[in-house]
Amino acid sequence: MNDSLGHIFVDALLINNFVLCVFLGMCSFLGLSQKFSTAWRMGVSVMFVITVSGVLSYGAHLLLAALHVEYLRIILYIIIIASTVQLTEMFIKKTSPALFRELGVYLPLITTNCAVLAVPLFQDSRGYNLVQSTVFAIAASGGYCLALMLLSLIRERTYLSDVPSLAKGTALTLVLAAILSMTFMGFAGMGS
Amino acid sequence: MTPTVSMIKVLGTVSLVCGALIVGSNIVTLARIRHNQEFIMRESVTQLLPGLQKQVIYGYNAAGDLTILPSLEGENVKRMFAGYDASGKFLGVVVEASERGYADLISGMYAYLPEKKVVSGFQVVDMRETPGLGSRIGSDPKFAENFQQLDATHPIKAVKHGTKQNPWEIDAISGATISSRAVGRMLQKSVQEMSPIIDKNLDRIKRGN
Amino acid sequence: MSDNAVSCHSAAPERNLADDNPFLNGLWKQNPVFVQVLGMCPTLAITNSVRNAIAMGLATTFVLTGSNCLISMIRKMVPKQVRIATFIAVIATMVTVVDYLVKAISIPVYKALGAYIPLIVANCIILERAEAYAARKPVFKSTMDGLGMGLSFAFALTCLGTVREVLGAGTFLGFSVFGPKFEPWLLFLLPPGGFISLAIWLLTFATWRERKAKREIAAAKAEAEKMQSVAVHA
Repeated sequence: MNDSLGHIFVDALLINNFVLCVFLGMCSFLGLSQKFSTAWRMGVSVMFVITVSGVLSYGAHLLLAALHVEYLRIILYIIIIASTVQLTEMFIKKTSPALFRELGVYLPLITTNCAVLAVPLFQDSRGYNLVQSTVFAIAASGGYCLALMLLSLIRERTYLSDVPSLAKGTALTLVLAAILSMTFMGFAGMGS
Repeated sequence: MTPTVSMIKVLGTVSLVCGALIVGSNIVTLARIRHNQEFIMRESVTQLLPGLQKQVIYGYNAAGDLTILPSLEGENVKRMFAGYDASGKFLGVVVEASERGYADLISGMYAYLPEKKVVSGFQVVDMRETPGLGSRIGSDPKFAENFQQLDATHPIKAVKHGTKQNPWEIDAISGATISSRAVGRMLQKSVQEMSPIIDKNLDRIKRGN
Repeated sequence: MSDNAVSCHSAAPERNLADDNPFLNGLWKQNPVFVQVLGMCPTLAITNSVRNAIAMGLATTFVLTGSNCLISMIRKMVPKQVRIATFIAVIATMVTVVDYLVKAISIPVYKALGAYIPLIVANCIILERAEAYAARKPVFKSTMDGLGMGLSFAFALTCLGTVREVLGAGTFLGFSVFGPKFEPWLLFLLPPGGFISLAIWLLTFATWRERKAKREIAAAKAEAEKMQSVAVHA
């Protein structure tokens, strides 16, 4: 693919933001955005997992292609992701037990985050090389982190507002996400 | 039995069963998928070259040498479709191309008439463009009119909606500029690559062997 | 409506219905999208049109039923440590199988669903059902649970797809609903529209449930008062 690195970066981060435009990583986006402190910590963990597994998956893709066993790619990518998440868990447990306790059960749940699996799949379909793949992984996960942080900041503000009890929770979050998504549509055409 | 051995046994069995399922489903569906792909390809080529009765698939390499391919097999194989009518008269060549659009890759096919150096039709094969906006490159009839006699002797490019002046320009869809430009780039790059190869082998292609 | 989108392992299945009739439980009471708020990615992404929504729903049902069935079959053999890894391996296998099946059945649908078929692996519903149900219950019940949850997921997707396609494109399954003069609300086909449609559906179901609960409480109250007055007069 002939995309320039800058274009790939801006595109994955803003124009085609993984969460607000391509609808990936929605479960954790809706479920973990109650507090800003959880949100950004989760966002950074996901960034780490996506970048590492994105690069490893690129290598795995080369291996699969060389052996002509492309149909094993879903399983192989998932194994890579699960292992990366496991490693991240152990790393966080060692370096910051407080963070580990705070993230709790959400850390292993990164394995089922569609955004993480989507990155190597997109890399494949667009034919990125190693450098492009790395930039794409960082930008896509950065976009996820950005959206998560933005939504959590907005949600924290709404706790002091008078929201009808029926709409509290997911329905309100969805409407906020809709507005956020509309603002991101304003990035369309950047850099073209 | 130690836990490790039992773990390995279980994982091994599960892997075997899963592997069998994957390979089995691959084998069972292969013929059907191939058939579907060929059917769709044939339909598209016929739409782009009206009157088509026979097609020959040519593979080509960087040096411009042609080989006849027996089927659609093979991923990332560089190929073109030469079409002939019932009497064996050469109609034109259909080429696949792709380019990054607004959301993701846009794949398309176009018909190229080498004698007149003209693009005579364009179809979108696959795209992820914004529904209702960018996706109009596949459905807008006015946009399709651009490709009835698109001059390929000059670099093809998409121009702002309403400003088309030359036969090698594409009138972009207003509101779908990026997708339209992608189509322009796609055609331009592909024609640049293909026309020397086609010209070099034109006699052979016209004969169909 | 309380915030029930806390984690993938949120709602504990109601013991009775889940045990007695897992199919109905999955189908309505514990609708994965509207009640448990799981499986959000495909719900928002694929529901541009009813055809895609139904196709995705059926594909997920296939994977869910198959994986629940297989996992329930091997549940006694799998040691605790490799539980999740095994579940994921089984799910990934079923997804690969369904990937081929969809491609073989209809290539236009396959193209429309695009990258989201492999992403069924990451659909929280499937892993959650595997851990919460299939790993503990017998094969038949697990299969029924998978079928019920899958079909209710398909139902939820179809609800969403209907709203989005009818309002956003003026068609239903490709057939024009309002005639050629209708100017469609393009927003509903775009990402914000997906969010808004889902929010509206959630509010609709929440309102319906709340009204139903109120009616039940009122009926129970009336019943209790009747009993009391009968007891007093007896």
